[in-house]
Amino acid sequence: MAAPTVERVERLTNLLALLLETSQPLTLIEIAGALDGQYPDKEANRRAAFERDKAALRDIGVPIETEVMIAHHAGATGYWIDRDRYELADLELEPEERRALQVAVATIRPTAGQDALWKLGADALDAGSAPVTAFVPDVAGLPVLRDAAARRSTVTFRYRDKQRRLDPYGLLLRNGFWYAIGRDHDHDGSRTYRVDRIEGEVVAGPSGEFERPAGVDVAAAFPADPKLIGGDDPEAVARVLVDAPRAAQVERELGSSRVVARRAEGAIEVEVPCANEAAFRSWVLGLLDHAEVLAPPERRADVIAWLLATIDRPRPRAARTRKRRAS
Amino acid sequence: MTARRGRRSRRSAEERLRRLLVMLPWLMEQGETPLADVARHFDLTPEEITADLELASMCGLPPFVDEMIDVFIDDDVVFVGIPRLFTRPLRLTAPEGFALVAAGRVAMQLPGADPAGALGRGLQKLAAALGEDAVVVDLPRGPGLDETLAELTAAVRRIEQVDIRYWTASRDEVTDRTITPRRIFSDHGDWYVAADDQRSGERRTFRVDRIEALTATGRFDEPEEPGGTAEGPDWFADGGLPQVTLRLQPPARWVVERYPVDDVTSDEHGVTTATFPVASQPWLERMLLRLGPDAVVVAPAARATLAATAAARVLARYEGA
Repeated sequence: MAAPTVERVERLTNLLALLLETSQPLTLIEIAGALDGQYPDKEANRRAAFERDKAALRDIGVPIETEVMIAHHAGATGYWIDRDRYELADLELEPEERRALQVAVATIRPTAGQDALWKLGADALDAGSAPVTAFVPDVAGLPVLRDAAARRSTVTFRYRDKQRRLDPYGLLLRNGFWYAIGRDHDHDGSRTYRVDRIEGEVVAGPSGEFERPAGVDVAAAFPADPKLIGGDDPEAVARVLVDAPRAAQVERELGSSRVVARRAEGAIEVEVPCANEAAFRSWVLGLLDHAEVLAPPERRADVIAWLLATIDRPRPRAARTRKRRAS
Repeated sequence: MTARRGRRSRRSAEERLRRLLVMLPWLMEQGETPLADVARHFDLTPEEITADLELASMCGLPPFVDEMIDVFIDDDVVFVGIPRLFTRPLRLTAPEGFALVAAGRVAMQLPGADPAGALGRGLQKLAAALGEDAVVVDLPRGPGLDETLAELTAAVRRIEQVDIRYWTASRDEVTDRTITPRRIFSDHGDWYVAADDQRSGERRTFRVDRIEALTATGRFDEPEEPGGTAEGPDWFADGGLPQVTLRLQPPARWVVERYPVDDVTSDEHGVTTATFPVASQPWLERMLLRLGPDAVVVAPAARATLAATAAARVLARYEGA
């Protein structure tokens, strides 16, 4: 028996060539006739083999157009490929620009990165060559969301057991998570979704369904610092005493402008954003017994109450106040 | 990427066609190309390239059967005539487009990236094919952090030893040590440097924001052996670590996504039971204090009072004031 893989590549290549060359949509009967002897004779087998080939071509990114025929093939489906949609336009990349993209892909090694580089004419990636790399989470919905944001197409997906319709304005990678930001149809307002929490597939509609409002700033959808999320007063700060062993690192993190007093033996007093009570408390407790909230009294009392509750569980439910980071 | 060596699995029809569709336009542009260069460029063996090109030369449609793609190999050089078809690569798929844009945006966030440079211009040209989107990458930055990252990157390039003052979270102490930085990476919103630690003689991973001071020494090391394993996202996975099992109320569930976890189950009330590898006692103390009344240690029994003890220690500061 002949090697089936070899035959299949040949048939796929011929099918691709035929659909690219044809000047009018072709029915399966016409396709099988042109690729004489390459498809099974029996109708059901022929259809199954053709569907498999069509799926394989679409899988590698070939846009196959379909049309229901009229006149003498009335009712049958016709197939063809629009060469303008098939071909990658010449991007006119300079060699150094191509090289820069290659280095960038080596930095994060995304799944489809190598195939993309080959299409741009760049070399195979050199494994382990980049001195700086970044692990960027690979989440299934991302390519569709990016493409939909670029085409201004509305997407639908399930999130927390509800069907959502979103005009995606952009994607944001922050603190190791990807967020989709846009206008939610059902809330008629701006919403942020964690892409890895999307359940199942993201489905995109036709292009140009919405306009992105001018001045949308994806990075400003929510503050990078969780201590600033929520709360009535985004400017609110608490005064915290940090002991010498952690002072240098805290000063680096917050910046020297946040240091309001320097004590003997290296301890510092810093002003820390505290609009979000829970995030602020989490930050202070991360310093263990190397830090103490000095002011305002409510923040100090909150930390004391939290510590008491931690010692003496369970805490009365009424004492709970908490804000969510992102929907 | 799969290494060329050791790949024995049979390539699927789709994979061979996909490669052929980028190979043909590239060969056309190159003119005569040594077979070895084609193999290197496309990460295949010369035998695989030969088989694929021979197959391509046999493809054709009536009335031009067998002459659609004009390609032959002679004396290990590949010749390609100008075909009617396959002169341009197939358009970028959505995953490919995302891969390029995300990689570009990440690279633009690295210390020293120049928006007006080659990468910035390349990304602008890409937008012509992919559409203007808004993919924003927000890697941790800051004046102190940027400076340390730039110095570490320079040290990796020069293979230079550096003296660092480092806060070790697992022991909650600051130490001075000498390291040879080998690789820098960002993961889950933090920057790390994998380095040879001169004191232990071992490869260690340090969090860049915990480096309090850094001085170049002017002493240089040897390049690494090729084929050294790249630090992956599993770099902190360690089966040898002790474990702790926590019962988490819904507000505390975020830790399951933030830290490596060995096992997670949730009941119908939204209460989650999760088992974590414990990096160190101070690490677990910090986590338990943050979770406060929303977490209970289920096992081991010896750790059941850890949160209360740590909370009492911190509370002593406030009561003594």
